[in-house]
Amino acid sequence: MQETIFSLLDVERVYTLGATGWFHRETRQLKALDGVRLELKRGDTLALVGESGSGKSTLIRLMLGLEPASDGRVLYGQHDLAHLDAEARKRFAREVAFIYQNARGSMNPRMRIADILAEPIRLHRLCEEQAIPARVEALIARVGLPAGLLQRFPGELSGGQVRRIAIARALAAEPTVIMADESVAGLDVSVQAQVLNLLRDLCRESGITLVFITHDLGVASYLCEKIAVLYLGRIVEQGPTHDILSAPRHPYTKALLQAFPRFDAPLCASLKGEIPSPVNLPKGCRFAGRCAQVQPACLEVDPPLTLLTPERQVACLFPVVNPC
Amino acid sequence: MSHALDLSASIQASSWRRRFLQPLMRQRSAVVGLVIILAYVLAALFAPWLATHDPTAQDLGAALQGPSAAHWLGTDSFGQDLYSRLLYGAQLALIIGFASVALGLVVGVAIGLAAGLIGGRTEWVLMRIVDGLLAFPELILAMAFMAVLGLGTENLVYALALSFVGPFARMTRGDVLQVKSQPFIEAARLMGVPTLAIIWRHVLPNVVSPILVQAGMRVSIAILLESGLSFLGIGVVPPTPDWGLMIAEGRGFITIAPWISGVPGVALAILLVALNLLGDGLRDAFDPNTQKDA
Repeated sequence: MQETIFSLLDVERVYTLGATGWFHRETRQLKALDGVRLELKRGDTLALVGESGSGKSTLIRLMLGLEPASDGRVLYGQHDLAHLDAEARKRFAREVAFIYQNARGSMNPRMRIADILAEPIRLHRLCEEQAIPARVEALIARVGLPAGLLQRFPGELSGGQVRRIAIARALAAEPTVIMADESVAGLDVSVQAQVLNLLRDLCRESGITLVFITHDLGVASYLCEKIAVLYLGRIVEQGPTHDILSAPRHPYTKALLQAFPRFDAPLCASLKGEIPSPVNLPKGCRFAGRCAQVQPACLEVDPPLTLLTPERQVACLFPVVNPC
Repeated sequence: MSHALDLSASIQASSWRRRFLQPLMRQRSAVVGLVIILAYVLAALFAPWLATHDPTAQDLGAALQGPSAAHWLGTDSFGQDLYSRLLYGAQLALIIGFASVALGLVVGVAIGLAAGLIGGRTEWVLMRIVDGLLAFPELILAMAFMAVLGLGTENLVYALALSFVGPFARMTRGDVLQVKSQPFIEAARLMGVPTLAIIWRHVLPNVVSPILVQAGMRVSIAILLESGLSFLGIGVVPPTPDWGLMIAEGRGFITIAPWISGVPGVALAILLVALNLLGDGLRDAFDPNTQKDA
């Protein structure tokens, strides 16, 4: 039995929107996350998939402790993230690394790459001061970049190089968990492939636990063994990548799959309309408004995430039966 | 190993040249300003050796003389040698200019950092104090404080520094707020970098260059204010060799001995122009908003 690293227990994240009028202070609430239950075991590779605004980034920020949960609990190992003592917080900072979507922005523009990579090593005293340069060189070699870049500044590197430096920095502290937010979005396909291969090798060789945000199902299937599909702040389907991609049970997952371009089939825009605003959640199933198989009961009952098989969960009253 | 160190050191040095010296050297006017200022600094440093007379020695027999071999730039109404007084005056002007800006910068940046980083009620209180300071024009504020503190070089530095606290504090706070919201600050926090290290390593280097550019510009304002206050008789005390004082002394003899006011006046004007040229050049070279080849 693998050890559980992260467990999210019915986590909610509510943002209070400010006053709408001048005098009547009418506050509205935006539920970015609404009852998310998730378990992550050591060595897992999990892809969080969903459209923009589905709460992927909020979820990962909560798991990093960057934002507090409004309700529910985020557990790291046995500890509640909201109440870590200084010692545990330091350990968390070392064991969990985050790769920002905006890789360039996540680096101090006035520091050299060498210093950026050395910072976490020095911080956690992973090796002696004299050994740091060698360590930094090993890191940059690991992400396939020449050591000549070490004396450069982040602004002088290309987009793909900066992403790889971000990965190298994440690896510097020798983490056990890596979280990455859209780390390959907007890259050239060739660079994208390099970055993906790098991450995949890392997970296979070092047994790193990976949480990867993406809206690209192809990337998710390449990199991750498990997928969690988010819609409007709730996980609507979760399970092993292969099963989900070959036989989606939630209409939303199915629609996402159909919207994915393929060589051999014409592309149909299966998802009509925009993701609704999380400020005014519709009654009943939150996907009902865009669902192709909507039934009268869907407008009344909010379906909970239920187990289909021990590994597979879906939040739908009438799960799709026929594989697409 | 030592070879590798040499190599990295030379890379570091050359990139310092590339990042700092070259953009500055590309600003032709800044170089001119820099050369003039260097000349003033050298004159000020070597004043004791360059001066031909004691700057405060009076020789009433030789009063109001025009330029001659004995007194290169003439003498004033007390027979003091203008050339010597000019050199020592440069010393005083530069010391007061740089010291007051440095003091105002340290205090202002500290206030701005505290306001920007702590936020909340602390920020509100600090910024209202700064607003209070900014409500008065610099000259009026400095005059008011000279009136309270009394005359003297040291008090002049304090008064001028105080008038600079406001602008520096406000500017630093604005930049800190902007930098603070950048992802790399959050990334550093996430990595577990201690707060002080974040401020020192990540916040300060990113706000320092506009502040230094501003400081360069303020030096000329400080020197002008200092001369102005001395001219008005609320700055340094006579017979200290000060340009403002010298101009004031020459005022009564402007028709019969125009060089008494003219010599320090021209010296002051050239220094101010040079400082402004350098300040503009610094801004053009390092302020990201005006950088052309970014």
